[in-house]
Amino acid sequence: MTLVAGLRAAAYGVPFQPVGGVHGSDLARINNWRKIEDPYGSGQEVYVIPAIRPDVAVIHASEVDEQGNARVLGSPFWDHPLTRAAKRVLVTAERIVPSDVLRAQPELTLVPGFMVEAAAIVPRGAWPGSMHPLYEIDYAAVEGYLKDERGALEAHLASAPEASKAS
Amino acid sequence: MSEAWTPFSYIVVNLAREIRPGEIAFSGVNSTLPMLACLLAKRAYDFHFTYLNVAGGVEPVPRKIPHSSSDPAIVEGSPALFANEDFYDLCARGGLDLVFLGCAQVDGEGRTNVSVIGPWDNPRVRLPGGGGAAVMMPTAGRVATWRTEHSTRTLVEKLDFVTAAGNLQTVVTPIAVFQKRNGRLALESWNPQVTPDEVIERTGFKFDARGARPTAPLAARERDALASLDPHGEFAAETR
Repeated sequence: MTLVAGLRAAAYGVPFQPVGGVHGSDLARINNWRKIEDPYGSGQEVYVIPAIRPDVAVIHASEVDEQGNARVLGSPFWDHPLTRAAKRVLVTAERIVPSDVLRAQPELTLVPGFMVEAAAIVPRGAWPGSMHPLYEIDYAAVEGYLKDERGALEAHLASAPEASKAS
Repeated sequence: MSEAWTPFSYIVVNLAREIRPGEIAFSGVNSTLPMLACLLAKRAYDFHFTYLNVAGGVEPVPRKIPHSSSDPAIVEGSPALFANEDFYDLCARGGLDLVFLGCAQVDGEGRTNVSVIGPWDNPRVRLPGGGGAAVMMPTAGRVATWRTEHSTRTLVEKLDFVTAAGNLQTVVTPIAVFQKRNGRLALESWNPQVTPDEVIERTGFKFDARGARPTAPLAARERDALASLDPHGEFAAETR
């Protein structure tokens, strides 16, 4: 949540963002988060998180059109604050669709194309994560990646969907 | 004669028993047992409550129970989606009644460490981090945590690092349920497979045990709901 607060500060164009909670946590000390008193006199003390402005945000979308308008079907998780906070937005998408598809239901578009610098079509690009409801988490691949043994990373990369397509 | 508790059934059911009628309850990342507890409460108890989860689920009706509590499969059947910032904001403005937050260590005041074992600058183990716990624990109505290991290294007198402090109310382990009373965790009930003395021995902090009783037995509806959520015993096998 403090991460979302930092992203929001950047998205809002302000240097910091007040956030609920944090009181009593050592995280305030190690991050040098400051607490300010409500200037409107409620007496509440509120932590303020400095802006986090990512150089680049990369999100994986369900569909994108040629203008970069990108649609995420299913749960958006952090995509909204992330794409608004970053200086540049890159999109990978399961498939390209005609603009008319997005124009028919513009409320489903998560990022408008004018904010998107580049898009690539990467089917199963969320692997080994999921793209609900198209495909599920590949639990076996995640567990294989976690193995602390020689060759585990190479084997993981070799089993990626784009690796088999390239060969 | 009721069925004997397993570590798995004891934790899931006693977490589920924390949910009260009409409440809004939330389960987060790396929280398979509370996810199951919320789904169990939906199936085993007659009252209504609202279940939200970190994947964006709002009152989900999943066909298949995922192994990860942040798997989008746990959103299935939701009539609405709640983005990450939505549920954090809801919590911050006082709208989450019961939040399940994990911990590596918990102390007698009900503060948690999910950040680091050893000193911050030179840790022995770097843990995954709070995932919003520092914001949610002080702002949620009540917080419940759980540990599959009940020992003096998990239930400690002094935390290596305070990740979150605030409204932690309940701690469930395979052998005991603690509730916060006057700012300290107190023994509420114990698993009848152990004695209160064993709980004291295996706990790193001092606690009040007055009024504690053996935990109420597993009810038939709780047992059946748990069996329906884990028909092949896969989740139970992961909880040792």
